Amino acid sequence: MSGLFDQFKEWYEKRHDYARAWKSRTGGQVVATMCTYTPEEILIAAGMLPVRVLGAHEPQNVTEPHIFGMFCPFCRDSLAQGLLGRYEYCEGVTLTQSCIQYRQAFNSWRMHVPTVKWDYYLPMPNEVQSRFARAQHYAEVKKFREYMEGVIGKKLPDADLKRGIEIVNENRRLLRELFEYRKETNPRVTGVEALYASITAQFVDKEEHNKELKRVLAELPKRKNDRPEGIRFMTIGSENDDVSFMAMVESVGSTIVIDDQCSGTRYFWNEARVQDDPIATIADRYCERPACPTKDYPAHTRFDHVLKLAKDYNARAAVFLQQKFCDPHEGDYPDLKRHLEANGIPTLFLEFDITNPLGPFRIRIEAFLETLGEEELF
Amino acid sequence: MITAGIDMGSRTVKVVFLEELKVDGAPQLRWGVKGKHIMFPEDLDADQAADKAFEDALQAAGLSREQVKKVVATGAGRKQVKFATADVTEVGAGARGAVFMCPTAKTVVDVGAEEGRGVKANAEGKVVDFAGNEKCAAGAGAFAESMSRALQLSLKEFGEASLRSDKTIPMNAQCTVFAESEVVSLIHSATPKEDIAKAVLDAVASRVCAMVRRVGIEDEVILIGGMVHNPGFVQSLKGALGVEKVHLPDMPEYVSALGAALIAAEGTD
Repeated sequence: MSGLFDQFKEWYEKRHDYARAWKSRTGGQVVATMCTYTPEEILIAAGMLPVRVLGAHEPQNVTEPHIFGMFCPFCRDSLAQGLLGRYEYCEGVTLTQSCIQYRQAFNSWRMHVPTVKWDYYLPMPNEVQSRFARAQHYAEVKKFREYMEGVIGKKLPDADLKRGIEIVNENRRLLRELFEYRKETNPRVTGVEALYASITAQFVDKEEHNKELKRVLAELPKRKNDRPEGIRFMTIGSENDDVSFMAMVESVGSTIVIDDQCSGTRYFWNEARVQDDPIATIADRYCERPACPTKDYPAHTRFDHVLKLAKDYNARAAVFLQQKFCDPHEGDYPDLKRHLEANGIPTLFLEFDITNPLGPFRIRIEAFLETLGEEELF
Repeated sequence: MITAGIDMGSRTVKVVFLEELKVDGAPQLRWGVKGKHIMFPEDLDADQAADKAFEDALQAAGLSREQVKKVVATGAGRKQVKFATADVTEVGAGARGAVFMCPTAKTVVDVGAEEGRGVKANAEGKVVDFAGNEKCAAGAGAFAESMSRALQLSLKEFGEASLRSDKTIPMNAQCTVFAESEVVSLIHSATPKEDIAKAVLDAVASRVCAMVRRVGIEDEVILIGGMVHNPGFVQSLKGALGVEKVHLPDMPEYVSALGAALIAAEGTD
């Protein structure tokens, strides 16, 4: 049963091979997406495979001429993958507005990655709390639909959009079901396994992903977990797919039981509320989802959401995985730290870069575990 | 009963033996330092360095291995100490040792060769919160060492020279390599060495202070780690921290080893 999540792991490790194989099997277009606010439902309805761009966590020297060195490492690493030709199979590239650094990475991608045939910038409002936001986003999603109709050369009927919504909603529902297992004492799903499942949802064909999730969910009740639980951690931050870091954390006396990251729960947490109008269904869903700090003002709605996750999943402490130079998350950090600590959740801050120093991070995690006081030395 | 703490630092190995003190023949919950030893390994073999440091320390203290009931390792190379009963992070060991030496201090500032950190501890010496320099040496002793080389001064001369300066020259660079070019520029502009030394130590102190602020600065602070031997740095840091009571222990570089030995003592029956 130890290989229960092997398919997700293989998809993650061979994600480019997977996308190429999908393309050759289906003849469909592959689209590089650069933010989890992208309305994938429309791309799926158009018969495309949305593939979220991820970094490679290896040193690179190709982005300096294009974006500033003090842009967040995830943006730089993502752009590097495009410039290095790793996403050469993608016809299109699209970004839905979140932060300015991501936008610059996207702009550079569409200008300098030669295999790009079309690109689309979706200017979603950042102030989703404004009473005008949903109307504006409705109009933008409608425009995106029209643009995609131009790309595929035919109309996208409502029925196709509704089918796209249904597929993505099912994926969200299944991931939530999987994450429910993490509430258990000594959960039978580790943080690394949950990451493999949620991150692959962002680039694997959703119907195939749903099928695999159902298979895993059917097997899980029989699974016995014999690893020690240790301290239950929550992780907080933007994108994180540093599997070796996650594995290290879970090897020194802890289990990661929940996250507030766009590689995890923020991506799939809320289903779309199905309405008669599919465009309204899609537009509202992205305005209502757990907010990224770029879209969480004037009220900080995510602070209570993060705390609720920590409580619901019985997290003993939280680790901030802060992408260096990520202004939106850095802006939230002091207040969110205070909010969690005032409510009994101690925190640790780690600054992430394209590559992370596992040795020093291990010391910090171990020292943090010592402060939580449950490690028996003798 | 005797326990030992061994601190496998990035530059040196420190060993401390603790002996339980007895008052009128009855064991008390008090411990005294039986012996301490420092070694500068000549090669990178951590196993051998740990063994040799421990053997030398036993000899210096007039002890045999059998007399030492428990050994706890700490420091960057703590996992390399094969004969240790357990290991503890340098954060936990430093706080434990510092609060043992100065029970009224709850803020511990530890600046060693490669790392600087601020630790908030409770009355038992347990870590409540901590912050450290992440990946560069700008808030640590190696930075000061590198700058002293650029000035062609020994570390001792470097620290003393800075005390003769009353100038404040801001250094913008936070990277050791760029800071060195800044130092070279100051040398070319005929800035006196003592002013440059003070500028460098002010910069290290400012960076360390910023880290300590992340965990909060209490009324009393204790400084530990090898940089406490640098009087110029201590003066700069005192100024940056802005607190009146800054404690300087007699054996600052041994405090983490002492903390490990105390933790070993707590784990004995």
